[in-house]
Amino acid sequence: MTHLTIEQLIGQREPGVEPGDQAARVHLEACESCRAELDRLHQRVARLKALPALRPSRDRWPVIRARLVAERRALRMQRIRRVALAGLAAAASVTLVVTLRDVAAPEPASAATEISRAMERSRALERTIDLYHPESRVLDGRTARIAQEIEDRIAALDRELELLDVAEDAARDTRQLRLWRERVGLLDALVDVHLTRASNVGL
Amino acid sequence: MTRALSMDSYLLADAKGVVAQAKAGDPAGFEALYRAFESPVYNLCRRICRTAEDAEDVLQETFLEVCRSIGQFREDGSLWGWVRTIAASKALMRLRRNKYRDTDELQDGIVVGRARDDHHLRMDLEAALERLPEVSRAVVWLHDVEGYTHEEIAGMMGKTASFSKSQLARAHARLRRWLGEEPVG
Repeated sequence: MTHLTIEQLIGQREPGVEPGDQAARVHLEACESCRAELDRLHQRVARLKALPALRPSRDRWPVIRARLVAERRALRMQRIRRVALAGLAAAASVTLVVTLRDVAAPEPASAATEISRAMERSRALERTIDLYHPESRVLDGRTARIAQEIEDRIAALDRELELLDVAEDAARDTRQLRLWRERVGLLDALVDVHLTRASNVGL
Repeated sequence: MTRALSMDSYLLADAKGVVAQAKAGDPAGFEALYRAFESPVYNLCRRICRTAEDAEDVLQETFLEVCRSIGQFREDGSLWGWVRTIAASKALMRLRRNKYRDTDELQDGIVVGRARDDHHLRMDLEAALERLPEVSRAVVWLHDVEGYTHEEIAGMMGKTASFSKSQLARAHARLRRWLGEEPVG
């Protein structure tokens, strides 16, 4: 009688049925020696599972943590370098665009257009101040003084603008634009004074 | 895998919370993972690797990998199963790097050469396991103790399932002899 090989015995412990398993099972039922061998195999595996757990002789966590920290730091540096490079590339492309625009861009809007834009902005700001009814409000001394100072400067600008209207000057448009832009800036400041009070304006 | 799932709660009561912490990059989460799985991972590595130093190195490599890759862990599976597969792969990689003796001819030569002595040899299981060639020992441990299938072992070793089966059979034949379990007659 041929007994089962160790491979066939191990096969009896495996899930599923492979070719030859059925014949091996039939043999097992009839052969006491093979059944004893299979029992020994079961016991050996059980003893393997019951072997005591081995433990490391030292704590490796400090080394692992140090490595992780170093890796994270290296990764952060890599990101910073990448962002810096991207920034440099962006700056370079902006320079290129500006250079190309200087060479090929259409002429900027004319001074007349710019003046009319400034005048429109100026009117809008005056309307905002009117809606606030500053004459009916009580201002503290400091705020009132700042508002008065701005209004005086606006009045001075208006006088300069009136004079320019009648002047025959080649650079008149340029000067007029500068004055109107300054007027818009002063009106902006005045809006701030009335709406947010002098303490927030920083004048 | 069911056994691995039940191991999760045994090894780490708040596995979900710790994984979430680790996924957020919290060092406390990483350390909790290490403390929970240090012992079983080392045990697995030590059973596969030739020396305790190798096993400690693999333990370290395993947890570095676990911390780096925790974002890829799918929480519908077993955490222990995931960590264990990383550890087993790293340990087998270490064996390959150390150029283990996996030729049957060489193994058989060694064993045959000792056969006469082995006849009178009675070792305890721990010593017999230690005496097995690295690959056979790895297959025995992964299959019989950790519960991997031959197909899974073959996948991790880059071999065939038949290779795993024959390694297991040879290993048991040797263990039986060394443990003095040879059938009488």
